[in-house]
Order: sequence, then C-alpha cells, then structure tokens
Amino acid sequence: MSKMWIVAKNEFVKRVRTKAFILTTLLGPIAFVAFIGIVAFVSVQSMTESEARTVAVIDETGVLFDRLVEGEDDRYVFVQPNMPVDSVHARVLTGIYDGYLVIPAAALTGSVEVKYSTVDGGIGSVFQRSLERRVESVVEEVRLDRAQVTPEVREILEDRIRVNTTVLTSEGEEAGDAGAYAAVGFIMGFLIYIAMLVYGSVVMRGVIAEKTSRVVEIIVSSVRPFELLLGKVLGIGAMGLMQMTVWAGLIMAGTVGSSFIIALFLDPSAVNLPASASQDEIMAAMDFQPPQLGADVFIWFVLFFLAGYLLYASLFAAVGSAVDQEADAQGFMLPLMMPIILSIVFIQPIIEEPNSTLAVALSMIPFFSPVPMVVRVAVTEVPLWQVGGSFLLLVGTFLGAVWVSARIYRVGILMYGKKPKLRDLIKWIRYA
Amino acid sequence: MPHLRVEEVTKRYDKVLAVDRVSFEATSGRILGILGPNGAGKTTAIRMITYITVPDSGQIVLDGKRVGPWSQMRMGYLPEERGLYPKMKVGEQLTYFGELKGLSRKDAIKTSKHWLERFGGKDWFNRRTQELSKGMQQKVQFVATILHQPDLLILDEPFGGLDPINADLLRDVIMELKSDGRTILFASHRMEQVEQLCDDICMISGGRKVLDGPLRDIKRQFGKDTVQLDFEGSNAFLDNLERDGLVKVTVRSGAHAEVRLLNGTAPRVVLERALGSVDEISRFELVEPPLREIFVQVAGMQEVVA
Repeated sequence: MSKMWIVAKNEFVKRVRTKAFILTTLLGPIAFVAFIGIVAFVSVQSMTESEARTVAVIDETGVLFDRLVEGEDDRYVFVQPNMPVDSVHARVLTGIYDGYLVIPAAALTGSVEVKYSTVDGGIGSVFQRSLERRVESVVEEVRLDRAQVTPEVREILEDRIRVNTTVLTSEGEEAGDAGAYAAVGFIMGFLIYIAMLVYGSVVMRGVIAEKTSRVVEIIVSSVRPFELLLGKVLGIGAMGLMQMTVWAGLIMAGTVGSSFIIALFLDPSAVNLPASASQDEIMAAMDFQPPQLGADVFIWFVLFFLAGYLLYASLFAAVGSAVDQEADAQGFMLPLMMPIILSIVFIQPIIEEPNSTLAVALSMIPFFSPVPMVVRVAVTEVPLWQVGGSFLLLVGTFLGAVWVSARIYRVGILMYGKKPKLRDLIKWIRYA
Repeated sequence: MPHLRVEEVTKRYDKVLAVDRVSFEATSGRILGILGPNGAGKTTAIRMITYITVPDSGQIVLDGKRVGPWSQMRMGYLPEERGLYPKMKVGEQLTYFGELKGLSRKDAIKTSKHWLERFGGKDWFNRRTQELSKGMQQKVQFVATILHQPDLLILDEPFGGLDPINADLLRDVIMELKSDGRTILFASHRMEQVEQLCDDICMISGGRKVLDGPLRDIKRQFGKDTVQLDFEGSNAFLDNLERDGLVKVTVRSGAHAEVRLLNGTAPRVVLERALGSVDEISRFELVEPPLREIFVQVAGMQEVVA
C-alpha cells in the first residue's frame, strides 16, 4: 500500500502547484462574493424601478379611483380614460398605457377578481405584487368606511403578529434563528455536492489523460491498478479538502472582518445606543446571533463529505478508464450524475421540512444520502440510528463501488479503440 | 542470475485466444527476441510477464517464484506505445517512476541525473517533458525503464523514432546491460535489429509459439539455401529462374538480388543463368537465409495452416 501513498502524493503535489488551482483557491471566495453582490444589486435595481408605469383604471365602483390616485407613488401613475374598454385595450397594445385595471362594482361587496391587463409578461413581479396590495388596501379602506368601523377595530386589523421559529434540541433551545441553520445546512450540502461532482470529474479527467498519454501502461507495470485508483482518488481528495479549507478560512476571515467593518460604520444611535457604545454592544444590539453548531454537525459533515466524494470519485474513475476521450464518457456520466443533481434539487424541501418522509428517505439511501443527511443534521436533530445507519450504508456502498470500479478500471485502462457499452463493462468485471 | 520461465501460458479475451499455451525461457546475460506478426499476441504475453494482467492458465516464473508485485520491482518495461506526463518536468517524472519502483527519492534523483547525462540530456532535468523533441522523450522513457537497475528488461521497439547516432548509443547501453548479466526481452518488427542484437528468438503467431531457440541454431536449421548477387546489366535471368520454379526471388533491386533455392536447385544453376544475362558479377555468395525470410516463411506457413 506504500505505493498508493506515492501516487497520492504525486497527484496532490502536481495539482496543487498549478496556476489554475492557486487562482481558483484564492479567488474563489472573491468570485462568490462578487456573484452574490451582482445578484443583490440587480434585485435592488428591479425593486427601485426608475420609470413610473401608467395604469389606466376602469373603475366600475365609481369611488375607488380617487383613493388610488391619493396613494400614488413613483411606481405608477393612475389615469381614468373616458372611453370604451376596447379603445383602452388598443392603447395598451400601442404602448400609450402600460396596462389597465378593470375593477368590477362587486369589489365593494365581496371577494372578486380585479383584472390587470398588460403586454409585459411574467407573474409575481415586484410591481404586480405592489399593485395588488395597493388595490386591496384601497378596497379595504372604502369598505371599512362604509361599515363605519371604529378606529379601535382598524388598529386591531393593522396589528401584525410574527411567529419566530427557534430549534429545540435535547440539550435545550439552540441560539440563533432557524434561518441561520438553514443557511449553514445549505452551504454544507452545496460543498458536498461540489466535492462529489466537481472533484469526481477531476478524477475522471485525470484517468482519461493518463490513458490517452499512454503513461498508464508504465505505471501499472509498477503499481497494482487498485492502488493506482485509490492513490489518485485520495490525492485529488486531499487537493479538494485543502481547497475547501482555504475557502473556509478566507470566508471566516471575511465574515469576521465584515461584521467588524459594519459595526465601525454603523451609527450607534441607529440601534438606540449612546455614541460611546463599544462594538460588542453594537453587535449585541443588532441582534446578531450566529448559530451555535455542535461539534457533531461538523464531524458528520466531514464524514459524509469524504464518503460521498470517495464513492463518486471511484465510480467516475471507472468511467474514465473505459473511454478514450471525455466526449465518450457522457453516456455513462448521466446515470451517475442523476442522484447528485436530484439531491441538490431537493435541498430546499429538505430544509423546509427536515423530518418529512422524503427528507428521511433521501438521507438514508446511498448515492443520494450525503447532501440530504448533512442538511438535516445542520437544521434539525436527527436520531443517531439514522445518521449512523446512513453513514454505514454509504461506506458499504463505497466499498462495493470501489471493488466494481477497480475491476472495470484494470481492464479499461488498457483498452483502446472502440467505445465500450455497459455490457462490456459488466463483462470486464468478470474477467480473471 | 535472473531467469524467466513462461510455462504453458494461456490468455483468452471473450472468444479470442490471444495467447495459447505458450512456453519459453530467457536467461541472464542474453537477449531474447520476441517476434511475431501484428496481433500475434506479443503484447498480451508481455503484459502477463510484467504482471499487468494475469494468465487464465499456466504460470510465469522469475527465479523460481511466480511473478507478482515483487517481480515488478525487478523489471523494467518499455512499452511500444510510449507515455510520459506531458506537463511534468523530466526530473519529477523520473523521480516519480523511480519511487514507484522502490527507489528512495534521493537515489531516484541521483540515478536519473546520471542516466540523463549519459544520453546527452544533462540540462533536461528541469524542463517540461512536452518541450522536448520526440527523440529526446524517447531517451527519457528509456532512462525511466532502467533507473532502478532491473534484472529483467522488456523493450518493445526501443529504437523507434531514434536517429542512427542515438540508436547506436542506445544499442551500446543495451549491450552493456547484457554483459552486466541482465536478462533482456526485445520485441521488434525490425528483423535486421533483431539479428544484430539477439542471442535467442521466440516467434509467436496467432497466439501460438511457432519457433524458438538460439538464433544461430535456427538459421543453421534452415540451411544455406539463399544466394546473394551483386551485378551490372539486365536482371532478366531472375524472371526465368522463377518461372521455371527453380528459385523464389526475395529481394530485387537495380544491382542486387537475393533468391532462395527451391527443390534442391544447385547454386551453380543460378550462376550459369546469371552469366548468360548480366554484363558483370561483382559478388556471388551462398548464405543462410536472413531472419526476415525465416519470419515471412514461418508466419506465412502459419497463415496457411490457420
């Protein structure tokens, strides 16, 4: 097995030294922050739309239009055209109006549908939601006035109650709110996803490169294919782990730095503190409660990270060994990637309901389990038999997969020419 | 004294018998030529000797012990399809190969520097492999094969891509290794190289061994049945001889010919016919058939049988 370490060391060293690796490792978090920044910028932009839209109102109640105009803001201008609906319709099409509202008379007596017609597509945009709220509140006002409701009752209607969820564990109430745990779960799940898919395909490309450059025949005259396979997988895994560690370090440093900077620039009076307040006090007053994660969350994260990566990397290596060029690998890649992609697709419902049947089932089935289980562990308390059982199943699957992969690999690396079919791979497994 | 024995080895892929009950031996201080037409099973046999694959039946024994990971440490294999990591530096690459063969890092660096120097590549150690010419890479590849002082060397077309000067250099090194007592297997399609280098040959065709033994004995066994002629003038006599079924013309060029005597034709018959046709004869010699002829004859027969 000592040769496996020589292979692993070589894989690690030669990859970690490349410019591409150094750049992505150092610039990755910056690119990530920039990406988030761009998304935030664009969404803020779309909320503060520069140009007001002209909305024609066909008010069949006869009383709502004035109220609508009263509450006009810079998002919309309401006009009341004195012409039949057909003409208004035509004017919307020619772009004189951005759209028109038809408010039926029955709006003042019960639930009705108010129709907004526009040439702009899309549903649920910021504008549409604000228009809907505006119409609703105007109708509400008029109806409350007509019913001669007292100010006390109006106040009752305006009061808002929020339900704030905190996570309970056997050790007591966890600090921090559920949203923070969801974020941690999401990030951890995403990192495992990257480990399985991205680092897995790095392994595959490495295998293909070694095969096309024909070095592999020299290597296997010194090393058993199984040791070569494991050495490659471990070396590239170590590279991935190092990249993630650097990223985590940079992000942590960035977070600490940024909250410090926020506190530095924040006016203490904004959070009702005297100007002499220290930064810690400001942070406390901002109600900044980082989630308190137990060590077990991190231990499970690392374990599932490694097992998930090992499982997929060994399978990707087998695929790489069977083909002569990356393009030929597509057919085998797809079924392999399906579970990984599905597990990231289901991350949202799992965060919302970490103990639903779907979440529990996905987090137990090997091939799917790494992402869902780590998400669940981060956002809720998972019984030990589930985490432990899922992990054992995953490790068992890995051992089976690496056995099968090694058997495909040792034949595949020496086969050139015709593109093999699944049938061929099964045959290779059975060779002596 | 390294001694390789291949015993009744068979390897089958699907329905194809790649190697069928092949046996041969290679001994210390001698070079064994492995010959055979394309697809004869040479590579399959070599891969089993190097323990890259294992035989379905039969066994391969080095110094009385079945080959395995232990024997890989004592072998150096130069495959026909060369391969180096294009982006790695020559030195790193050689060090890595050396370490995989059980050398310490220090020894691997030391010996690779020594051998690079021997092959005129003193300053290659820190150069990227892809920057080197094909011939240079070829030499690096050979250094990788012999770094760990293997007892058994397996060289598949080692001269491919080398100019005559470098080919001579390589041959000198191979002969040194031979006189040093190493066992060397030499696979090639270049019969004149095999004839120059090999002490013994083993010929495989269609997965079976069709010929083996010391090169000299084999040639003697075929007897002196070949006439070489250098001449000036018309070569019409060659066609006459061939038409009458007396000889088979194996080489024919402007002023040189080589014919094999058929059905006990006397050499003087060839000379007499030639005298009636050419202006002048500068050489007439009765020789053993060149290895190329033996190869064509044996492989051809094999095809007829098959």
